[in-house]
Amino acid sequence: MTTAPGRAPAVAEAWRHVATGDDAVAVAERHALGTSARVAVWPPENLARARAAVDEVLTALDRQASRFRADSEICWLHRAGAARGGVFLLSDGLAEAVSVALAAARWTGGRADPTVGDALVSLGYDRDFAAIGPDGEPPAAAVPAPGWQLVRLDGPLLRLPAGIRLDLGATAKAVGSDRAARAVMAACGHAGGVLVGLGGDIAVAGTPPRGGWPLTVADRPDPAGAPGTQLVRLARGAVATSSITCRQWRRGGEVLHHIVDPQTGRPADGPWRTVSVAAATCADANAAATASIVAGAAAEGWLKSAGLPARLVTRDGRVRYLGGWPSAAGLPLPVPPAGRVYRGPRTGGHR
Amino acid sequence: MESDRDYGGGQVPLREFGDWDPGPAGPQRRPAARRDGIRLARRMSNWTAAALMIGSGAAAVALAHQALPAAAPPAGSTAAPGAAAGSAAPAAAAGPQVAHSVVTTSGSGVTTTTTTRTVHGRVIVTRVRHAPVYQDN
Repeated sequence: MTTAPGRAPAVAEAWRHVATGDDAVAVAERHALGTSARVAVWPPENLARARAAVDEVLTALDRQASRFRADSEICWLHRAGAARGGVFLLSDGLAEAVSVALAAARWTGGRADPTVGDALVSLGYDRDFAAIGPDGEPPAAAVPAPGWQLVRLDGPLLRLPAGIRLDLGATAKAVGSDRAARAVMAACGHAGGVLVGLGGDIAVAGTPPRGGWPLTVADRPDPAGAPGTQLVRLARGAVATSSITCRQWRRGGEVLHHIVDPQTGRPADGPWRTVSVAAATCADANAAATASIVAGAAAEGWLKSAGLPARLVTRDGRVRYLGGWPSAAGLPLPVPPAGRVYRGPRTGGHR
Repeated sequence: MESDRDYGGGQVPLREFGDWDPGPAGPQRRPAARRDGIRLARRMSNWTAAALMIGSGAAAVALAHQALPAAAPPAGSTAAPGAAAGSAAPAAAAGPQVAHSVVTTSGSGVTTTTTTRTVHGRVIVTRVRHAPVYQDN
């Protein structure tokens, strides 16, 4: 059994204030985890404590689960286990993140599989996305995922076979949103309410604004002026979106994206370009959204059986609403009462 | 009460558990059996009355609870048609009124990457924006 060495401290980036037009809430944003983090709180005077709590959670998550930091725990795991595999003692935070990823794989029938790490590397997604060249040589041969069933987790003990590279992209950011929302409420003495968004994965906690937090559903993070967006309200739980319209790059003239079908090792090629799902936790919502992109035509049936409200956008822009997701603007999302892959952060589990 | 009824021939008195001892049949057994039966009947009657009182109380509480006026839903919290099992806005009435969108849920796009390095004693900050290559149909 092996344990991870100590890691160097990370420095959080600066937050900037975001003006939304409402003085009753305070909103701030910063770069984090290769995308943007946003926090909204009421009462506004809670913002400083909220930002500090989010910083702490994101810094810990980055050290635990980033595939692009050489000093992260998961990179150490891959280096240590590359040749012969082994049994590893994980930190509580990474153990929880891996546990959620494996639960998501089981729940989605393997469509959100954390063993797609090598498949992504073979496609050229081998570094922080912003550092990937926009074009390059054709991708190497496809590498199907070995399968999540080969990875065993018993508490903090992980058995990782040789040659398996984990990618927690389908769940880790969402777990970060869930953790951060909970941490903000604790830091603020459980007064007021908070919304945390990490690259489109949004979790809320505490008391929401009347009718719920207003948020925009879109293909892309900056939808200003874009058609096909929708305003909805979220009073509890979470909402997450997966889309093939973001994180794209070219290899040999072919447009690739980051949502990989574990069975083929190739970018998912179904009828949906964007799927948004509401769920009790952000980890559930993001796992379901990613699995729906991979599932293609089977997504509607699976989402219905899972009882999840969802908004699916076809490649030509047509929108399907499922499970009570409102088709009109400004209405609240119905959120199932309990999570399937994540029950929420354990006390101190994010460290 | 004790004189209300007399257990005639062919009738079997009620017993408590563990009391089953038919004993000698005939007239010499009849007074004791009668007393036992009446005692048991009285005990059961008391239990029945207690159960009725408890049941009536519970029913009254339930009816009173249902009769209370429901809390007014928060603004804009109309349930969507065909909504799945789940709740939309519990305890939303206590929060502030917020009209404008505070965040966007979308694909996790990359905004900017900030790199800081020191060259000849000067700190150089580089921000890289990576735009998606996707085009809408």
